[in-house]
Amino acid sequence: MVRFPKFSTPLLTVALMVLLLAVLSACTSPQNTFDPKSDAADSILTLYILVTVVASIVGFAVLAAMVWLLVKYRAKPGVPAKQIHGNNKLEIGWTIAPIVVLLIILFPTMFWIAGTADNPGPNTLEVEATGHQWWFEFTYPGLGPEGGDLITANELVIPVGRDVRVTLHSDDVVHSFWVPQLVGKTDMFPGRTNVLQTFSAYEVGEYYGQCAEFCGAAHALMRFRVHVKTTADFENWATAHNAGPVALEPGTAAARGQLGFATCAGCHAISGTVAQGRIGPDLSLFGERSTVAAGILDNTDSNLKAWIGDVRTIKPIPEGARFMPTFKDTLDEGQIADIAAYLNSLTAE
Amino acid sequence: MAANTGILRRPLAPSGIWAWMTTVDHKRIGVLYGVTAFFFFMLGGMEALVMRVQLASAESTIVSATTFNAMFTMHGTTMVFMVVMPAGAAFFNFLVPLMIGARDVAFPRLNAFSYWLFLFGALLMNFSFFMNAFPDMGWFGYAPLTSNEFTISNATDYWVLGLLIMGIGTTAAGFNFVVTILNMRAPGMTLMRMPVFVWMTLVVAFLIIFAFPPLTIALTFLLFDRFFDTNFFSDIGAGSDPLLWQHLFWIFGHPEVYILILPSMGIVSDVLPTFTRKPLFGYTMIVFAGAVIGFLGFGVWAHHMFTTGLGPWANAAFAATTMAIAVPTGVKIFNWLATLYGGAIQFKTPMLFTLGFISMFMLGGLSGVMHAVVPVDSQQSDTYFIVAHFHYVLFGGAIFGITSGVYYWFPKMTGRMMSEPIGKLHFWLMLIGFNLTFMPMHILGVIGMPRRIYTYAEDMGFEPLNQMVSAGAFVIALSIIIFTINIVRSVRQGEIAGDNPWGAATLEWSISSPPHHYNFAVVPTVRSQYPLWDEDANVVTPPALPAHEEPIMPDPSYWPIVLAFAITMVAGGLIIWQGHAIAGLTVISSMGLLGMRSIFGWVLEPMEEEQRVSVHH
Repeated sequence: MVRFPKFSTPLLTVALMVLLLAVLSACTSPQNTFDPKSDAADSILTLYILVTVVASIVGFAVLAAMVWLLVKYRAKPGVPAKQIHGNNKLEIGWTIAPIVVLLIILFPTMFWIAGTADNPGPNTLEVEATGHQWWFEFTYPGLGPEGGDLITANELVIPVGRDVRVTLHSDDVVHSFWVPQLVGKTDMFPGRTNVLQTFSAYEVGEYYGQCAEFCGAAHALMRFRVHVKTTADFENWATAHNAGPVALEPGTAAARGQLGFATCAGCHAISGTVAQGRIGPDLSLFGERSTVAAGILDNTDSNLKAWIGDVRTIKPIPEGARFMPTFKDTLDEGQIADIAAYLNSLTAE
Repeated sequence: MAANTGILRRPLAPSGIWAWMTTVDHKRIGVLYGVTAFFFFMLGGMEALVMRVQLASAESTIVSATTFNAMFTMHGTTMVFMVVMPAGAAFFNFLVPLMIGARDVAFPRLNAFSYWLFLFGALLMNFSFFMNAFPDMGWFGYAPLTSNEFTISNATDYWVLGLLIMGIGTTAAGFNFVVTILNMRAPGMTLMRMPVFVWMTLVVAFLIIFAFPPLTIALTFLLFDRFFDTNFFSDIGAGSDPLLWQHLFWIFGHPEVYILILPSMGIVSDVLPTFTRKPLFGYTMIVFAGAVIGFLGFGVWAHHMFTTGLGPWANAAFAATTMAIAVPTGVKIFNWLATLYGGAIQFKTPMLFTLGFISMFMLGGLSGVMHAVVPVDSQQSDTYFIVAHFHYVLFGGAIFGITSGVYYWFPKMTGRMMSEPIGKLHFWLMLIGFNLTFMPMHILGVIGMPRRIYTYAEDMGFEPLNQMVSAGAFVIALSIIIFTINIVRSVRQGEIAGDNPWGAATLEWSISSPPHHYNFAVVPTVRSQYPLWDEDANVVTPPALPAHEEPIMPDPSYWPIVLAFAITMVAGGLIIWQGHAIAGLTVISSMGLLGMRSIFGWVLEPMEEEQRVSVHH
């Protein structure tokens, strides 16, 4: 007979949880849901840990019981099986036991749901996010020129420590807005308006977001960033955004690019200029962004030129889909380089 | 005298390809379902391996985005509709009449018709691969990605039509098994003496009858949107609502989960008593828990939609019902464990897979409860945590249970035993490979890896765990190769099994292995839940029967396969119609006429062919 060492199941669970947390911290990811950076993500994590612990205790207890039964009651010569058909008291007992365990997680769930009712306070920053195949558009009502809309794309900029309420829309198929370290996901529907759980970021920094609902060929490449800035930086950013580009010195690449941008202006907008196209992403203050192509590539000169030249080598755009044309056949390398120089000259300085 | 209603002579030979194509014998139909499911299991597995090769490294370019999207779409569709469901159907068909002491199902030709519709529907959908239109919009087909505006090729058409055709067959099978189980039980086989597997079949048959209509409605709406420019899901401004698709799909989709898992729960409930040598603990509880799961299964669908913005009331209600369904599931697990108590446990291969089922399914159930917590789901939904969860339920659960059933009833199906050493190797490899593949996916979900992405950036930190997952997938593949070797080897040279190699208690083990085409020479009278164990009630040993007095069984019929073919080709004609109107209409009308002719032939066909009747009388 094998003697099993007397493991205390909760102790074992705690040991395994520690191991799990060690593994999790080893797997550092900018989308780690166990590394929250806002009040919303934090409150979710509290419940996440509670259910993980409860589920782990139950799981290990049942597995341990099963192994014990298998060892103890393995077939032995001369020992017949006990012909038991059931036991009402026991069976009622283990119908009630799971109910009790479930109540432990049901109540916090209900309180959490009740606590996230949508009643924005006076100081809440309102943002509208719209999903497009395959990029994100962000609109700040009232923050634009003359009290209009401030529109940007793929990189959401928000102030630290202030409640942010994002309403969600879609221009085509279903997308989902997800910044794991800041807030759980909510879907973006065509023809419907959803509201993301209000959240307030703890720390200044750059956070990763990603579309979390399958939305066609390039779904994996529909990402975005959230820049959490100090209040002063946020206000400077908005002011610079509305002011538009500074006057460029004639003859420079950027100045040539500004003229060349006329090719792009049918679809793209840069605030403070004649370019006011609303089909593609708004490119105001592009030089402030850290990525090109909806969070896919670092914003370097070569990546930007590659993107303008041939988006189809970077994103899998199906034939016939509404997306940016390939420019490498209509513009020469010099023209593309000028446009790239112009875009990266659009900074807040 | 009934006239010959056919165009072709009715095939009466007992063997050969034609005999299999026209068979109405539930055991042969069961084998057809099983073999077909295994073929698609290989196919779906290969689709999974393509995904795992692609995801083994960051920013991989081995396959294109479209190919990857097609792989996960068809992997899901294949495993759900062409593997686990027909594998369940294989067991229903082969076992239910044997277990209740019947000679066949209630409607043998309808049974054949169900199988051929399943096969042809599956082939039609997979034919899209050769037309360069492999479905790539996800197995859940969320609107409006499926509308003509966003799906330019015929891919979605093949998917919709294939599912509709398979759905007709499945619904027919649902009715067939309800009628069979309620009406064709042997004398004394009361409902509460039925093996749990038969009970679970009954619950599944009802689930099919009530769950498939919403899917059929959703698919028909989509079909009309795509072919005839209606406006259920496609034109948002004009009032259609993509959320409607999700409601219809998941009110089918969640009962579907129980359609997939309940057969395996039945299998393990019948395997456990045999290898513990004692009755199932709390038979009544297990049966009623299965039925309760069936009912509750219709009230939890919106937990698939917690992130769609249904609002706090709906989220709270569906969180509560989802947690509630864990109770009957827990009861089942505790009763299975209690069956081990006091047993004389024999660790044969079927028992190992049953124990694998109980433990892995339990882990999948626990991660399922985690999703019921709405805020937690808002982080887990559409991540690899979900992928991990439902593979613990559908692979660790359904596939382990089905594999247990294959090892357990293989001797009854073929008359030969499967190899125990190879079987044990298969089990341990599959268990290790399974956990290596799906356990790390939990962590991938926690660290924020979304599902259905064909690539991920290097700085995301997803790579090491994905490499582990991909390695595990190949260990599973190896275990399946070993399984295949075991089956092929055992069919040819396995040890001769005899009537009851495991010393089991239920009726199917009272007759020869493999059974005669008429199953029971004399219909048994049943006086107990475990007729072959209870000595004083052991009345099922069949008396010897003179060779010339075989029971009269229905003769084969080719109308089911012809009708199923005609229906499938009408659907095919619809796809042709989009490109070539005249050719399409020709196919649709000619196949429609063939279908009508088949229905007449079917209705007017006598149960037995004339020359056979004259032999009998």
